Amino acid sequence: MKSLNGAKIRGMILRYFLLALGTVIFTLPMIYMISTSLRPNGALYEYPPRFFPKWEALTLENYSYILNQSKFYVNFLNSAFVSLSTITLAAAVSSAMAFVLGKFKLKVNKLIFGFIILTMIIPGTTMIVPQFELATKLNLVNQLWGLIPFYVAWVIPFSTFMIKGFMENIPGEIMEASWIDGASVWTVYTRIALPLASPAIASVSIFNFLTAWEEYPWANTVINDTSKRTLPIAIAGFFGQHQFTQWGYVFAMSVLTLIPVVLIFILCQKFFVQGLTAGSVKG
Amino acid sequence: MRTRTKLLAALLACLMILTVGSAFAEGETVTINFWHHYSAQSAENETLMNVLIPAFEAENPGIKVNAVSHEWAELHDKVLVSAKSNALPDVARCDIAWLPEFQKMGILVALDEEMPDFAEVSGKLLDSAMSTSVISGHNYALALNTNSKIVFYNKAMLEEAGVQVPTTMDEWVEAVKKLSGENANGQQVWGWNEPALAGWNICPFIWSFGGSLTNEDQTVATGYINGPATVKAVETFAELVKEGGITGFNSGDIPMTDGFGTGRYAMMLEGPWKSAELAGAYPDVAYGTAPIPAGEGGSISVLGGEDIAMFNSANKEVAWKFMQFMTSEFAETEMAKCGQIPVNKAALESETVKAADYAPFIEAIQTAKARPTVAAWSEMDNDLTVAMTAVVTGEKTAQEAMDELAAKWDELLK
Amino acid sequence: MITKSRLNRTQLIALLLPGLLLFAAFTVYPIIRLFWMSLCDMSFSSMLTQPFNGIENYKEVFQDPTFWTVFVNSIVYTLITVPGQMAIGLFTAILLNGIKRFSVTFRVINYLPVVTSWVIASLVFRYIFNTEGLLNYFLWKIAGVTSSNIRWLDTRWGGISVAMILGIWKGIGWNMVIFLAALQQVPQDLYEASAIDGCGAWGKFVHVTLPGIQGTILFALIELTIGGFNVFTSIKMITGGKPAHLTDTLLTWMYYKAFSTGKFGYAAALSFVMALSLGLLAIVQFRMMRNRDN
Repeated sequence: MKSLNGAKIRGMILRYFLLALGTVIFTLPMIYMISTSLRPNGALYEYPPRFFPKWEALTLENYSYILNQSKFYVNFLNSAFVSLSTITLAAAVSSAMAFVLGKFKLKVNKLIFGFIILTMIIPGTTMIVPQFELATKLNLVNQLWGLIPFYVAWVIPFSTFMIKGFMENIPGEIMEASWIDGASVWTVYTRIALPLASPAIASVSIFNFLTAWEEYPWANTVINDTSKRTLPIAIAGFFGQHQFTQWGYVFAMSVLTLIPVVLIFILCQKFFVQGLTAGSVKG
Repeated sequence: MRTRTKLLAALLACLMILTVGSAFAEGETVTINFWHHYSAQSAENETLMNVLIPAFEAENPGIKVNAVSHEWAELHDKVLVSAKSNALPDVARCDIAWLPEFQKMGILVALDEEMPDFAEVSGKLLDSAMSTSVISGHNYALALNTNSKIVFYNKAMLEEAGVQVPTTMDEWVEAVKKLSGENANGQQVWGWNEPALAGWNICPFIWSFGGSLTNEDQTVATGYINGPATVKAVETFAELVKEGGITGFNSGDIPMTDGFGTGRYAMMLEGPWKSAELAGAYPDVAYGTAPIPAGEGGSISVLGGEDIAMFNSANKEVAWKFMQFMTSEFAETEMAKCGQIPVNKAALESETVKAADYAPFIEAIQTAKARPTVAAWSEMDNDLTVAMTAVVTGEKTAQEAMDELAAKWDELLK
Repeated sequence: MITKSRLNRTQLIALLLPGLLLFAAFTVYPIIRLFWMSLCDMSFSSMLTQPFNGIENYKEVFQDPTFWTVFVNSIVYTLITVPGQMAIGLFTAILLNGIKRFSVTFRVINYLPVVTSWVIASLVFRYIFNTEGLLNYFLWKIAGVTSSNIRWLDTRWGGISVAMILGIWKGIGWNMVIFLAALQQVPQDLYEASAIDGCGAWGKFVHVTLPGIQGTILFALIELTIGGFNVFTSIKMITGGKPAHLTDTLLTWMYYKAFSTGKFGYAAALSFVMALSLGLLAIVQFRMMRNRDN
């Protein structure tokens, strides 16, 4: 007869073992990407292929090549501009919408909310043709800032949905007091609702940032000029335009693109989990 | 926590100002948008960005050139879509095979009608090259460069296998078979590389085998693309693919230049730009060149090249200036240094061009044929790739696939 | 609680309006427009003049053999990646739920693929699955599992498999996090009760865990099904639809028709069919979820 304790310890060891194994398999692609970005381009077709480059072959030449191209900074700033504008605008308009929808019983509430749900269940890319036509009519083709209204409109449903849930949970008494004091809707929104909902806003903003930072199909469709490209199209284009497919450069550029995202993720991972689970548990 | 939030907010604000500033900082000059498909890392692109455009801008103060590089297929798609969305550039470097399609869409400027000095400008360029821009009696572009493909072979690999440079298609088949197999590392090697299965790749075989794509008038495909000689060419090619003699058109294959440079592909059919590419990436590879092997139809390569065209939304006066500059002796000579065969008569006589040794290519151009000059070519080309894929994967026989293709093409050619 | 002064009414509208306008113009309008476009002949005309064409576009879509190929591809992709990432994500969550140390570390690392952009992840996978790539070398020369290089990227199911492996790899983290949250809400005493009833680990999983996280499973199912049909960037980057559109999915094929051949009407019809059927599917799933809740 095994003791219960022994079985438990064995169970724990198995758990850690499986988790560690899974994590290793999980991270291999990323490690391989980093290791490839650190080897000279000429060694790409070396035989046998190596997971890690030889120690003496390690080089930063791919990084210095990318960082010496002014294009990379332009693309980086373009991505930053679009993503930051998107999250700022989206936070402003969706928190306002969520406040009204969550705290006031208007006749249009159901209709608006119905549309919000509807757009959440349609894959975004299916709308690319009419959206392209719209962009054409509004002269937003090949305009960097022209990406922003589209991105904001895409993230509004999810953001409003999430923030609304949070707003609904703000106890009524807090606002009640302000109404009695004669505060206006605007005051209650800015002084009470916004500060209280800030964790929810922060969490959706992180998701919105990711969406805008990595968006590819739309940006690739409407942006032409090299100087207006965001990072994803720059990387994809860089890959396509290099007939010898210089993976070292491509991956160096990719690593540099991932750094801000990973940093934000690690610093804000609490908000991440909050945002994800709020949606799923509430349904 | 509070201070951290504030700090983050301040940081965000700074970044925003910085990026907004950079996004809207623009001067007051006429900008002409020029789209091309010189690949990003190529010597051509370097020359364009660092030599030609600065020279043009210095000559023409107040004009700025915004050059946009697209991948070849993407350039075609972008033009097509931009035409629908009124976002066309002023000028583009177009594959000669695209011009009929763009002309039919009504987006190209008839230069001979709109430019008073057209005859003078076009007179400086080769007549044969200028003929690629003529559609129903009008000129829709200026010829920019011309080319054709010849065989590049790895000298060491042929020597080791005891193979002579093939001069006939029968010899070619034998050579491809002998050169394929395994190298000393146990890695697979292929006798021939073909980076795609489109018209640009398959036509030379069809023609050299004595086949054809359509009738002379380009109105009927049945009896031509599914004729016996064409089918034999397709069959022979597919057979070699199945036997492991030809590869390169699969997504997972080693890219052409790398495979040739590292001794995995023994031979390939490529254009004049390849010499510069190989010299840059694989300077140690010893290779030779030869005309495409002759079959029943002779040694027939495919005529390539690019024209420079103006779209009807362009700032015509400025665009015309730029087009003249790009086809000038100076620009063409500079581009000749990196593998673009000039069409400017004066540039052709220059020392640089003579030193570049374009003789084998110019010889191939004499007998090369052009792909069908019809508006539907892009679609036909895609159909051809689909049909060829079905044959090389063994899904259909060459005859079946070509019969189906002929029916489709007949519709498109109507 | 509603104060009905005129000032407040104006302010309410002012708060609602900007978001609503953006949403209506850039998301709702395109959906309606999509339906209209699908009924117009847009192939060679410019964007601005489109003659009415009835159901011709729909006929063309359904009579196109390539449509059925890519339709099957999308279905297979969704049928495999959705349960795949849910199962592995749930399993990881269960493992994580029982440990105390390093839980956050594991969670953060396993979530990293989710925040990696599709473009980058696709290129990495394309590189790994290259015919001459590391994976084939490992399988053949080191592990000895295969006797030649597998042509992952060159065949229909090879290419789709790579996209599916990528899809699962990238989706596990998300599933892990939401299932972990759900697991933590399953009452502990239920487990204890089932232990007394003599349930083993599997019995506990089937009788306690699964019923306890039903809502989350349905939620994930809806979200992931939409995501599965939305697959685009990975296919475009990994195979580009090659060979001969055999690895295209509904959306990459739609995109090709629209932006490479200019057949906007065809693309609109295809998109509309997709949006409609997924919308209906999601409504059915929502209903199921609501019924379970009640």
